[in-house]
Amino acid sequence: MSADFLSQGLALSIPELILAAGAMVLLMVGVFVPADRANATVTGLAVALLIAALGWMLFIGGRGEAFAGAFVQDGFAVFMKALTLIGSVVALAMSVGFARAEKFDRFEFPVLIVLATLGMLLMVSANSLLTLYMGLELQSLALYVVAAINRDSVRSTEAGLKYFVLGALSSGMMLYGISLIYGFTGHVGFAEIAAALTGGERSIGVLFGLVFLIAGLAFKISAVPFHMWTPDVYEGAPTPVTAFFAAAPKMAAMAMFVRVVMDAFAPVTADWRQIVVFIAIASMLLGAFAAIGQRNIKRLMAYSSIGHMGYALVGLAAGTLVGVKGVMLYMAIYLVMTLGTFAFILAMRRKDEGNVENIDDLAGLSATNPVMATVLTIMMFSLAGIPPLAGFWAKWYVFLAAIEAGLYPLAIIGVLASVVGAYYYLRIIKLMWFDESVGGFLPVAAELRLVMGVSGLFVLGYVLIGGPIAATAEAAARTLF
Amino acid sequence: MAVRLRHRALARWRPGREIGEAIMISGLGAAFFYLFAFVAVGSAFMVIAARNPVHSVLYLILTFFNAAALFLLTGAEFLAMILLVVYVGAVAVLFLFVVMMLDVDFASMKRGALEYAPIGAVVGIILAAELLIVLAGAAFDVEKPAQTALPAPNPVVRHNTAALGDILYTDYIFFFQIAGIVLLVAMIGAIVLTLRPQRAGVKRQNMSQQVARTPETAIDVVDVETGKGI
Amino acid sequence: MSSTSRPAREFDHMTITISHYLTVSALLFVIGVFGIFLNRKNVIVILMSVELILLAVNLNFVAFSAHLEDLVGQVFALFVLTVAAAEAAIGLAILVVFYRNRGSIAVEDVSMMKG
Repeated sequence: MSADFLSQGLALSIPELILAAGAMVLLMVGVFVPADRANATVTGLAVALLIAALGWMLFIGGRGEAFAGAFVQDGFAVFMKALTLIGSVVALAMSVGFARAEKFDRFEFPVLIVLATLGMLLMVSANSLLTLYMGLELQSLALYVVAAINRDSVRSTEAGLKYFVLGALSSGMMLYGISLIYGFTGHVGFAEIAAALTGGERSIGVLFGLVFLIAGLAFKISAVPFHMWTPDVYEGAPTPVTAFFAAAPKMAAMAMFVRVVMDAFAPVTADWRQIVVFIAIASMLLGAFAAIGQRNIKRLMAYSSIGHMGYALVGLAAGTLVGVKGVMLYMAIYLVMTLGTFAFILAMRRKDEGNVENIDDLAGLSATNPVMATVLTIMMFSLAGIPPLAGFWAKWYVFLAAIEAGLYPLAIIGVLASVVGAYYYLRIIKLMWFDESVGGFLPVAAELRLVMGVSGLFVLGYVLIGGPIAATAEAAARTLF
Repeated sequence: MAVRLRHRALARWRPGREIGEAIMISGLGAAFFYLFAFVAVGSAFMVIAARNPVHSVLYLILTFFNAAALFLLTGAEFLAMILLVVYVGAVAVLFLFVVMMLDVDFASMKRGALEYAPIGAVVGIILAAELLIVLAGAAFDVEKPAQTALPAPNPVVRHNTAALGDILYTDYIFFFQIAGIVLLVAMIGAIVLTLRPQRAGVKRQNMSQQVARTPETAIDVVDVETGKGI
Repeated sequence: MSSTSRPAREFDHMTITISHYLTVSALLFVIGVFGIFLNRKNVIVILMSVELILLAVNLNFVAFSAHLEDLVGQVFALFVLTVAAAEAAIGLAILVVFYRNRGSIAVEDVSMMKG
């Protein structure tokens, strides 16, 4: 090993190093700061740490491959990592008020979020199956604990247990697939796997491995048929944790999914495309139909996220530059909409009941909290995909890519599913504006107001600012080809 | 005899072996392979079939021992050792500890388990059949890739543990560090979930207090009246 | 010890190839998956089934590593072992807190019952 090998690798992975070293420092800070201020202090420092990593990556850090090709920092990685970090920062910032009110102010929570984010960055940068596995497990292990962090609550621990059992099973299946891919190609690096698959006929062993691998990846983005954990975990986990689950891990897992199939398995596109098309259709339909009749808004968001992952996969199924660009933009817009909606859910506080989660509690909100009602209306219209809001453009990019790739049935089913899906979003809007009021909510905390305001403006103004964002995404997507 | 087996395995392990020659073990080693394989699969089945979870853990240990032996037959000595140390030494004991700590009525739990047995059996048999057809059948006559990422050195020159050590701290230092962070997360997680604030009446060791003790503070000389007791 | 050469000759026609190893590991994998289906109420046995799956994966890696004469498989197996140990620790910790809250370790079936 030469000194160059190490120094170049370290230079490229400075954002990760910041998080890794910072998390250890935060642990010490948490122990030595008085207990009543520990959570707030460590959360603040953790947010600063994540922003530092983001800033370094965007403005100072270089691009390239490191550690013998196991780690890659290209335009695509930077774009998806930026989304991941933004998701973590916002989710963490939104947790402060909730933690204080609901008495789960433990300083380990922000530390675990930082470590989970570190795992996600590794997933996005993974250029070999070993990096992918280690990053994924680092993320998953932290998330299992975070789901159960409210350890005195039956719901929270049950959510953690369910997530753990199904997550461990999916990791096992994915690993089995990885071992087959390694055995039949002789490599774990993406570039080498692609080289081994080019030319010679693919063996059925690799195909088996690919199926197992995609099953594991589908679990991580909660796509049908590996979605079963999502509603229970979203409902059971504390709300800031749910907000985090819905935002950052999805970005990283989708980025990983895209890179694996587009890099390592590009020579066998026809094989994985069938699977992705199936997963996309099943997710879109289940997301649209199962959400009807949900009464808990966190559960509703779980089905909503399943559906949205289906739409994002439509772009991936195209397997083209336009498709990857569509996936990236879809994830970016989904991130903003999700964070905005969860800021709203976190703001659903009543004086004597604490946080409420039922959709019926929203009835007549326009009379008591007109600003909140307006923000949620914008979010719901956007999630439903009504033009000219951001959610419409997200769907536009992926469906356009599918049509360009000739996947007409997929695009048509997608449009139909979004029409059905619009029903339950519109039901919420109707409830807020036309039903009898059941009482307003407490004044909203400043950080939640900020998140709601920024995401509302983004969703409204996407038609104006969308051009540069799309250009950035396209330039980033180009690095994958 | 173990030494003989080892040399048998080493003798075949020549760099530049002909492609297509797939025999890994032959002779007496093959007989041992069958022994270990049958015991491993049988005890793995007992892990999930046993009524008492303590028995399950013990069968799990048996499975690990036999799997370690299977590792050994391929020449992966270090992993065989680690499997025993980490799994039997730590993980299986952790399982036993939890099984015994949680006072669960396992008999009632077993009831109703058979509800899923038929569907599970169907799924299992189909999966097993598919995997066996694909993997054990003719599918694996693909040629070995002309070159692999990290050719194993000849074990006569550099033995397995040293060969792993050579790369683990150099080429794989990145992953080694991540593994360290994974273990840190496990530690934080286990503590955050299970450590309770100290309850009254729990006796704990206080190291500094113990060290600071002197004969003056430790011994109390009392005048006891005869026949009264303390 | 001197008599070991005779049985060895008897076994000479038996050879073990990569397929034999893959068969054993496939069986272990299926037993692990089956165990999760069979013991849906007993989380401890589910965790043990997960360990069986990971053992099958490791056996695959080690066998492929020998077959390909490549060390990456063994390095991978080493990391899988490390992570599996961490996973077991976290899983059991979550199980313990769940037990403290519920007084049982039966997770209700993970299903779509509620929607």
